[in-house]
Amino acid sequence: MIELWQAMAQGVLIGSTYGLLALGMGLVYGVSGVVNFSHGDFISLGMFMCLALYSALSLDPYVSAIITVPVMTVIGALVYRYLIRPMVGHQFLMVVQLTLGLSLVLQNGILMVFGGQPARTPSMVDSKLIILGDVVLRVPHVIAFVVSFALAIGLFVMLRSTDFGRSIRAVHQNAHAAALMGIDVSRVQVLTFALGIGILAIAAALLLPGTPIQPTQGLRYTVITLLVVVLGGMTNFVGIMLGGLIIGIAEAFGTIYLSETLGALMPYMIFVVIMLFRPQGLTWRSPR
Amino acid sequence: MLEIDNLVAGYGAVPVLHEVSIKLGAGEAIGLLGANNAGKTTLINALSGMVTPMSGRILFEGQDVTHLSPKRRVELGIVQVPEGRMIFPEMSIRENLLLGGINARARPKRPHRIDEVLELFPRLKERLSQHAGTLSGGEQQMLAIGRGLMAEAKLLMLDEPSLGLSPLFVQYIFEIIDRLHAAGLTILLVEQNLMLTLRHAQRCYVLERGHIAVEGSAEHVRDDPRTRSAYLGL
Repeated sequence: MIELWQAMAQGVLIGSTYGLLALGMGLVYGVSGVVNFSHGDFISLGMFMCLALYSALSLDPYVSAIITVPVMTVIGALVYRYLIRPMVGHQFLMVVQLTLGLSLVLQNGILMVFGGQPARTPSMVDSKLIILGDVVLRVPHVIAFVVSFALAIGLFVMLRSTDFGRSIRAVHQNAHAAALMGIDVSRVQVLTFALGIGILAIAAALLLPGTPIQPTQGLRYTVITLLVVVLGGMTNFVGIMLGGLIIGIAEAFGTIYLSETLGALMPYMIFVVIMLFRPQGLTWRSPR
Repeated sequence: MLEIDNLVAGYGAVPVLHEVSIKLGAGEAIGLLGANNAGKTTLINALSGMVTPMSGRILFEGQDVTHLSPKRRVELGIVQVPEGRMIFPEMSIRENLLLGGINARARPKRPHRIDEVLELFPRLKERLSQHAGTLSGGEQQMLAIGRGLMAEAKLLMLDEPSLGLSPLFVQYIFEIIDRLHAAGLTILLVEQNLMLTLRHAQRCYVLERGHIAVEGSAEHVRDDPRTRSAYLGL
């Protein structure tokens, strides 16, 4: 029973960050139809930037985020503007190819700079624990949960009640009509992509404490993010957060009840089962 | 107010419009008629900047707008109410209207303008927080026009406002168009419905396969046999 609660708590805490990762991807897909297969490698990039900042200036990952977020946001804007935009409107697979290529470039770039050894980035809250009855929570997980949900709520409010947010939704629902309203559609697409990558920089800092990192981990994050986005019905905000929690819980249950290796399989098995019965995703409404 | 000079435009390398010239004075309401595929929608999309002209010139209030972005044109007051309404279905009516007025010139006036639009369309007022996708076709057309007014249009271009509406709604929408015209708005009405357009426009142009086949007063266009042949494609 203790294990059940432990797995539940751990899954929810980590799952919230998975949800956040996926929101970025979902937003980008919604406004430009681009699925970014280098998503996870950008998370890697964010993490290794934190590692570099720690090595050079002994900055805590949470502090490093102040630097990595703007840097990654600018990188995101440049990548979309100069690499992805020229491909949009052509064959769908060209964008897939491009982002897969980008994934390899990032991965090997990181490998060249940092080497292949798993690395850790210490944080002051690394080993701090919160004990609630029988359940032991790691403080970095709690921080990840709180920040992820706060950001998700912030994004939700931004989408609902600001002109920029409404522009994003307008481009998603009907790009032609959005242009007729005087919205600069390609600007919205660039900014959304930049926002998505900026969010990854935050998520990277949240996931980093206590987690060993290595350059090849990107694909795993990409796949987890894809699972969550698909579970959420691609663009449904609530569905994506819910999907994140489910994948997080599946992973935690697998790791606690089964072995480490089998545990890593759990999210995929759960995913296959859910897709068999609900191919449209978890939520009831059509994605538009 | 609007002057189109020998405009050639189309998609890819294939021109749809061949040297079309149209003049529109301030406060005028003109009709642009023609059968399917005559080039009507291409023409107003060229005016909105959604289709890039291959040659020719578009002047709006004396300014050359031929190569301005769609955004800049909306800011100048060239506003299109597109065919098929194209409202944002997953957004509330209020959000749709706010988006209508998102351009830099209209944004400061939105709080005031939205009240006027809702006064014009009381049916929308009752459903302000409802998703636009749940509206009937006629109500969606009201919303699309309302959105155009929110943009502080100087020239309002309506593409097939009667399309798919019940006769009662068609009558209502055209009464609204008459009222907007009477209030001083310049209107370009794109329609397939010949008789309806002749009743509500002062002057008309008939497009046939990308050329202007007939132009003149409503009576002149009605009586010209070429109008009929343009429609029947003879």
